[in-house]
Amino acid sequence: MSTPKNPSEIIDRYLQAVRFWLPKTQRQEDVLAELGDDLRSQMEEKETELARPLTKEEVSEILKRCGMPMIVAGRLAPKRYLIGPSLFPIYAFVLKMVLLWIIVPVFIFIIGPATLATHSRDVGTAIAMTLGNLWSALFIAAGTITLVFAVLERSAAMTKAECKWDPYKLPPVRKNERKISAVQTVCELTFNFFALIWLLLLPQNPYLIFGPAAGYLKPGPIWHTFYIPIVAVAAYAILRCMIALAQPQWTWFPALGSLLQNAFTLIILKFMLAAVSHSSGTAWHPFVVIDQAATSAQSLKVSAIVNASILLGMAGTWIGLCIAVPIQTWQFMRRLRNGAPGKEQPAALHVL
Amino acid sequence: MANSTASVEVFENLRLELRRGCLTLAVLTQLRTERYGYTLRKALADEGLEIDEGTLYPLLRRLESQGLLVSQWREEEKRNKRFYKLSPAGKETLKQLLAEWERINTSLTRILQEV
Repeated sequence: MSTPKNPSEIIDRYLQAVRFWLPKTQRQEDVLAELGDDLRSQMEEKETELARPLTKEEVSEILKRCGMPMIVAGRLAPKRYLIGPSLFPIYAFVLKMVLLWIIVPVFIFIIGPATLATHSRDVGTAIAMTLGNLWSALFIAAGTITLVFAVLERSAAMTKAECKWDPYKLPPVRKNERKISAVQTVCELTFNFFALIWLLLLPQNPYLIFGPAAGYLKPGPIWHTFYIPIVAVAAYAILRCMIALAQPQWTWFPALGSLLQNAFTLIILKFMLAAVSHSSGTAWHPFVVIDQAATSAQSLKVSAIVNASILLGMAGTWIGLCIAVPIQTWQFMRRLRNGAPGKEQPAALHVL
Repeated sequence: MANSTASVEVFENLRLELRRGCLTLAVLTQLRTERYGYTLRKALADEGLEIDEGTLYPLLRRLESQGLLVSQWREEEKRNKRFYKLSPAGKETLKQLLAEWERINTSLTRILQEV
């Protein structure tokens, strides 16, 4: 790389480097011209003071004081966010839910066992493949979610939502009550929305759940019966969040809405587990069946492992809901008793 | 050691917060007379308020987009320079800001005397 021949060339090189980092807007040239003039004015003043032209080192000193081109461009450019502070909590929540509560469990319970069974002779390869695919899936999911939120950030949707809220519709203050914030509800709504989209895409895109095993695994007959109720619960979850957001004064609704959702899920799981128990036999493939073209012993083994994993997951969820639903019912009943008219607690006055 | 770094950081953040509003006021006040970026920086530095290029130019652009300043590119000393001055709305806002500053300053002086 050639060294600059004179002080003016150093300034030009510096401005070119700043230009590289500045966004290509109409104001880019404006910003550079102004910065260039400032630097040249500094040079001229120094030259007047010293009564001689500046050396390259002295010019370099002025530029060093001004700062590294990338940093200077960052200061001069308009402040921009990929995802701004108002959307960031929802983004972080959705990212966490999708990555930790959808993708990782799908890999642990479905894709991992399927890959392990396919490559049962080489466990190391199977684990490496699963981890590699998990890594790619996490990256793709994180990238897609980030992209969606970046688009949302640039749309006016959040600004409109911010303008629409009405202080008179805020729920009354209650003492010793765990409040569900609007942000939490928006997070839930976003998550449920993505979950519904995922569910709707599944029939045509089985790789969304089976991953590389989608080539020889197909959804079992049980899903044909229970797919619509599951989609209905997911749609209900969205409706529940929308009602909670639209009617924040219905302070009783979030608890009841959540209770109903869990109760519906419990009922569906009960019927699914019953259907599974009836389908027991020599060829037990209630959740996942093997494609006609791939009936090898290994495929059968994969299918058996995946079916067992789903059954375990389902039974675990059923047990969890069996505990949660009575507790939620009891909490809701207690809340109804305490929240009767005339028993409203006054707003707490905080005195330091 | 960590505590001392943290307290320096806290002080630095508070100092920047305190400085931000004061700089806006100082810039608006200086631009009652038309100036270009470098002379404005120099005028502020001569009064003891150093401000770097990366802070001043975005501030000038923000104030201009808010309608408080007007700017014009003009040739002076064989170079194009961008001259800034207060707009009529800027003059009005500056008047209000100075009144507010006076109120804050009076209150703060009283509070500090009590301490």
